[in-house]
Amino acid sequence: MAVSTDTGSKKSSTGLMGELGKRFRSNMQTYTIILALVAIWIFFAILTGGACLQPQNVSNLFRQMTVTSFLAIGMVFVIVTGNIDLSVGKLAGFVSVVVAYFQANIWYNLIPNQPYVAAVLSIIIGLGVGVLFGVMQGYMISFLQVPSFIVTLAGMFILTGLILLVTQGKTIPANQAGFDLIAQGYLPPLVGWIIAAIVVVILFWNMTRSRQRKRQHGFELPSIALDLATTIFYSLLVIAYVWVVNQYKGVQVPVLLLAVAAVIMSYIANNTRFGRYAYAIGGNREAARLSGINIRRSIFLIFILMGLLAGIAGIVLASYVGYGTIAAGQGYELDAIASAILGGTSTLGGVGTVFGALIGSLIMTSLTTGLQMLNVQPAWQYLVKGIVLVLAVYADVAFKKNR
Amino acid sequence: MGTPILEMKSITKTFPGVKALDNVTFSVATDEIHCLVGENGAGKSTLMKVLSGVYPHGTYEGDILFEGQVQQYRGIADSEKAGIAIIYQELALIPEMTVYENIFLGHEIKRGFLVDWNETIRRADEMLKKVKLSVNPAAKVKDLGVGKQQLIEIAKALSKNVKLLILDEPTAALNEDDSDNLLSLLRDLKHQGVTSIMISHKLKEVISIADTVTVLRDGQTVCTLDAHKGEVSEPVLIKYMVGREIENIYPKRDHKRSDEVALEVRTGMRIARPLGDVLKDVSFNVKKGEIVGFAGLMGSGRTELALSIFGNPTGFQVHGDLLINGEEKHFARPEQAIDAGLAYVTEDRKAKGLILIQDVKENITLANLQEIARRGVVDGNAEVKVANEYRVNLNIKTPSVEQKVGNLSGGNQQKVSLGKWLFVKPDVLILDEPTRGIDVGAKFEIYTLMNGLVQQGMSIIMISSELPEVLGMSDRVYVVSAGRITGELPIEEATQEKIMHLATS
Ligand SMILES: Nc1ncnc2c1ncn2[C@@H]1O[C@H](COP(=O)(O)OP(=O)(O)OP(=O)(O)O)[C@@H](O)[C@H]1O
Ligand SMILES: [Mg+2]
Repeated sequence: MAVSTDTGSKKSSTGLMGELGKRFRSNMQTYTIILALVAIWIFFAILTGGACLQPQNVSNLFRQMTVTSFLAIGMVFVIVTGNIDLSVGKLAGFVSVVVAYFQANIWYNLIPNQPYVAAVLSIIIGLGVGVLFGVMQGYMISFLQVPSFIVTLAGMFILTGLILLVTQGKTIPANQAGFDLIAQGYLPPLVGWIIAAIVVVILFWNMTRSRQRKRQHGFELPSIALDLATTIFYSLLVIAYVWVVNQYKGVQVPVLLLAVAAVIMSYIANNTRFGRYAYAIGGNREAARLSGINIRRSIFLIFILMGLLAGIAGIVLASYVGYGTIAAGQGYELDAIASAILGGTSTLGGVGTVFGALIGSLIMTSLTTGLQMLNVQPAWQYLVKGIVLVLAVYADVAFKKNR
Repeated sequence: MGTPILEMKSITKTFPGVKALDNVTFSVATDEIHCLVGENGAGKSTLMKVLSGVYPHGTYEGDILFEGQVQQYRGIADSEKAGIAIIYQELALIPEMTVYENIFLGHEIKRGFLVDWNETIRRADEMLKKVKLSVNPAAKVKDLGVGKQQLIEIAKALSKNVKLLILDEPTAALNEDDSDNLLSLLRDLKHQGVTSIMISHKLKEVISIADTVTVLRDGQTVCTLDAHKGEVSEPVLIKYMVGREIENIYPKRDHKRSDEVALEVRTGMRIARPLGDVLKDVSFNVKKGEIVGFAGLMGSGRTELALSIFGNPTGFQVHGDLLINGEEKHFARPEQAIDAGLAYVTEDRKAKGLILIQDVKENITLANLQEIARRGVVDGNAEVKVANEYRVNLNIKTPSVEQKVGNLSGGNQQKVSLGKWLFVKPDVLILDEPTRGIDVGAKFEIYTLMNGLVQQGMSIIMISSELPEVLGMSDRVYVVSAGRITGELPIEEATQEKIMHLATS
């Protein structure tokens, strides 16, 4: 998040509220979207008489958002550099059918009694397929300079064909013991609590370390009260989450995987040269080029990363549904793009956060599951999603204009 | 002077963390040319944006009276209706459109539902005559030079029946001829009843054209001077703008002669392009600790020359040998040029230099992230520290290094661009129009900085269209004309006349 370590500015409004206000203004977009999420939850909570906030439903909601979320956090990078990837949904689908195919037709014959080995091999193959596809698309986009829209549109067609070839129009089971844990596994409550404890310790450790570093550099420190308040707030969120899902079956394995992936991606975006270059390229390609950034290399790597995440999404998908089907991953690319944009990623490039995309994805999933609980027809679900997307982006534009 | 056409009373405008205008009072008489001067970030552009409705009524405090009436513009369309037209610091024409389309863009002449193109072209012709520009109205804007584009902007304003014309640094990117042309046009318009407000950092120009000058400093009106009473002169303006006197704007330095060659281009460099060579037979060298000026007219090929040694990002074929510290080099990308110790500060900071949506610190460190990163991870604290160092040294006016560069004033953006390339710590620094849009005080600071850098052994290639700057700062001057180097002059022999002669030969 934004570090306020300015040494030269005048003291403006001091005090906790003043600083909170400042932080709010500088991250307006993120807070707006969080508010929207809360509003949507309250809305559904009222209409369902609180049913949607029951531990089982909350647990399922978060589990359901994982597949598109993996795609969305990669999509942020793609869109930030001014590109688009229309193939990710089908790529995840393709990975899921390939993984299912190997389970049903190959491991079954080769290593019949070792489900865990088979699961690991399936994962490796799934990731490999994702990365390989990312390499091919990335190469065409970055080195052969074919627009990403075209390359990935073509990729989408090709993958649709490949899915049909692999499945032969049939559904392939992918439910070997071990493999199903990836998306359907839960951690025992105690393990959940241990993880929560570790996260809280890390949060506090991070806070003190960051303050220490700033002191070493002689920067003015942000108020300790504010730092403490934020850290405690995030800690409470984590604890609350674990508490709720533990009332059902425990922390969901796919959500844990997603959290790890999101933290890594967020770290890459904010703290590495690679991430900085992505934002620079999207912000002003010409300036980035003259600053000595190897644009081709950056974009190539981003599409490989996207492929990897699509691979993960495909594996989770296969494990989640327990099958590889011809419709696997259908339309997921659009959900991923919508999530990223809802979360504040600019279609003009240069702006976007992983965290925002996660919230965006959570909103999309909340809408779907909430409306399903209310027995609303699918037709209306799409209508509502479309309207929310446009409204959210409009609200953002309007906010910016009025500042 | 006559009655005021415009009065702005107690205007205050604040942005988060910045009070850009603080109780400014500004009044313009009918049929005068009123110049607005002040340091970078003084609030000149902001004041004009308040006036033209870019910042609508309610986002600022104070009153605007135009022709005696209180005005409350909700947007730029309202001010245009009242007869105010603004031409921004950066041109806003659409390059792919024709001249006549551009002139009537947004207020097309219609017959029924359709645009009446014949009438449009006729009227466009009329407007072009008014601005004394002889181009085919059907020509595309991108094929015209900046000087002509600037005139088309004025034609566009005139087509809206403008009474008050605002020009924000109109001559910053123009050569001397085009500037003179524009100034004399403003004088003609004055006689036809168009009042003008002009913002400029070129004080000579201000003195030659202004009836009245208002000086802004730190968002406040310092004074308003009447040129016809002899109140306006360069030292006076500088004193009011900067708050102190600057005797010699080109600070002295010892011309140390070193024979060590830092950069050399030999065997006649040539850039081949389908439509004919951009550069022909170019050879030159730059010694260690030397400032070499590249003079010439705009469009003579100096920027292309600089880019071709800086990793050639335009991708045209370059022939010829480049030697750095005696070693032969071939750069395929700017990255390699930077690694070899080159840096290039572009003339076009908005399009090619800065990332406007990112903040000051990110822009300053972008070209040298490895210095503040370990194993690919950027140290955020070190970044803030570096950025603050350059903020202080270059006197960049910003509430903090976390301010978005797009929110800085034009001149301060230029300083960020400079800081970014100084952080690369190059051996050879290429400056392309380094003081474009920069105020006198800051110019002096930048020149002083340049002197310090060459004293420490850096070499500087300075491309500049401002002859006094070339003469004041260089150790040696190359003159470029139509893609060729037409002359090399040691500074002792260089004069304005000689350079102009070579530049047009
Ligand atoms: N949109 C904005 N958001 C925040 N601050 C702004 C914004 N626009 C201008 N400012 C600040 O307001 C002050 C005045 O800026 P302005 O552009 O009016 O200066 P100027 O006098 O035109 O300078 P220059 O000669 O460099 O063009 C500067 O400190 C600038 O950083
Ligand atoms: Mg300005």
